[in-house]
Amino acid sequence: MDPLQKIYKILLFVIVSFLGWIILPFFSPLILILIFSFLLTSVFLQSVDYLEGYVGSRTLGVVVVLGLSVSVGILFMGSFINSLGIQIKTFSNKIQKDNFAIAVENLSTEIKLLLPEFFNNLVPDGDKVILMAKNFLVNIFQNILALLGSAGNFIFITFIVLVFTIILLIEYHDFKRSLVRFIPNKYLEIGLRTIYNIEKQISKYLRGQILAASSVAILSIVGLFILNKVGANITLIIFIGIIAGLANLIPMVGPFIGMVPAILITIMNNIGNESAFSHYIFNIIPSPFFILDIILMFIVVQQIDNNFITPIVIGESVGLHPMIVMIVLIIGGTLMGPLGMLFAIPATGVLKVLLREIIFISKNSHLL
Amino acid sequence: MEALYKNFFRQKKKVDPVIKALEKVPIFEHLSEKELKNIVQLTHEREYKADEYIFKKHAPAEGMYVILNGKIEIKDPGSGSIFASLNSGDFFGELALLDEEPRSASAVCNEPSRLIGFFRSDLLTVIKRYPKLGNKILLNLSRVLGERLRETNKNIIKLK
Repeated sequence: MDPLQKIYKILLFVIVSFLGWIILPFFSPLILILIFSFLLTSVFLQSVDYLEGYVGSRTLGVVVVLGLSVSVGILFMGSFINSLGIQIKTFSNKIQKDNFAIAVENLSTEIKLLLPEFFNNLVPDGDKVILMAKNFLVNIFQNILALLGSAGNFIFITFIVLVFTIILLIEYHDFKRSLVRFIPNKYLEIGLRTIYNIEKQISKYLRGQILAASSVAILSIVGLFILNKVGANITLIIFIGIIAGLANLIPMVGPFIGMVPAILITIMNNIGNESAFSHYIFNIIPSPFFILDIILMFIVVQQIDNNFITPIVIGESVGLHPMIVMIVLIIGGTLMGPLGMLFAIPATGVLKVLLREIIFISKNSHLL
Repeated sequence: MEALYKNFFRQKKKVDPVIKALEKVPIFEHLSEKELKNIVQLTHEREYKADEYIFKKHAPAEGMYVILNGKIEIKDPGSGSIFASLNSGDFFGELALLDEEPRSASAVCNEPSRLIGFFRSDLLTVIKRYPKLGNKILLNLSRVLGERLRETNKNIIKLK
């Protein structure tokens, strides 16, 4: 290549990169919407392809699959908000009663008696606990109100994502064909191979994740149900199970997120209940309000998931070293928060496939 | 009256040249027009210059090609021997639909050519989206391979 042409190319690359860097922040919401739409497309593509073979119309297949999923989602959200409202109402009624104040005072004193003197200053007095609980409730209400305030924006974004997903699902194979048109003849077969491998990687990973999340959700619901049988008095177990399953999509951090609502609800429901406070695991280890039972149950669910479910349903599909998983999770979390953590692993999986294909192409470049 | 109807009211059916080329390929034999249209939606039409390689020997193989127009030579680049000279309507590389073995010969255009590519990922998509159609193609493919095997056996017997 002419050296001048080479310099022009480098210059052009620098200018395009710089412009991209400036423009990117304005397009980041759109990019995020497209990423979500693409992920949803990957999740539903197989079902739509399968249904199209039977009903004979792709549009009908998309309508049936998405219609069912959206209906289930709306039902779940509605039912969740309703149940959460009831839970908060019950708890706020409980706080207003006098015997609740006495129960909290007793609890504070009992904890102080149980703990060594050194820790006593760390345990708040009963009235402070009530104040904290009231503040906690006010915070929840404020958060819900803030959520409702941004609900319009959320609904709009969800609607756009849904529309993009419908278009992508209906036109998926045509889009892919149009993309293939841009591949030069020399790289046609290798390009198709790369696209196919990336598609396979994403779809395998997503299906595996959904299966693993469903299994974790079911196991958590069963576990919480068993704990309720021994007197844990945990409400909203189906929703807690589903939250634990969804949180499981974020590796390493997710399982801990799943425990939080269960622990909060058991404390809310059992404050003032003497037998729940003086509960012991296997009659040996003290577990006030069944908190240790819940933690142990989630650890057992995690172990079942990590050792039996995930290796079977996801296997070595992404095949990343745990160290790399941790690094990309930190990078994803720093850049985009929880969403970044959610996307970090599949994005690294795609990069891994791309890298593998680039190495393959460079090794076989003399054959192209 | 019939002539009037034919000339003014009945539209002449335009047959897509890609469908026309595909229906002559044994792998897509006995398929209905709708099924052929479904296949066409997945195929890739490509244009090649004279002397341009479609694929080289030992390159990773992904699928087959049908010649819409032009001339292709299948040859061994090492010895220079030509295994086949192919014209419009001919097809090659169909073994790659089934296995992932590298190409056993090179394919090069003798003149500017237009080809239709049908690749393994497309076949897998057909099997997923239209299972009945996928089965028909697989059956046709097995028949083609069976015929080739019979032919090879005959040649081996002749050589003995």
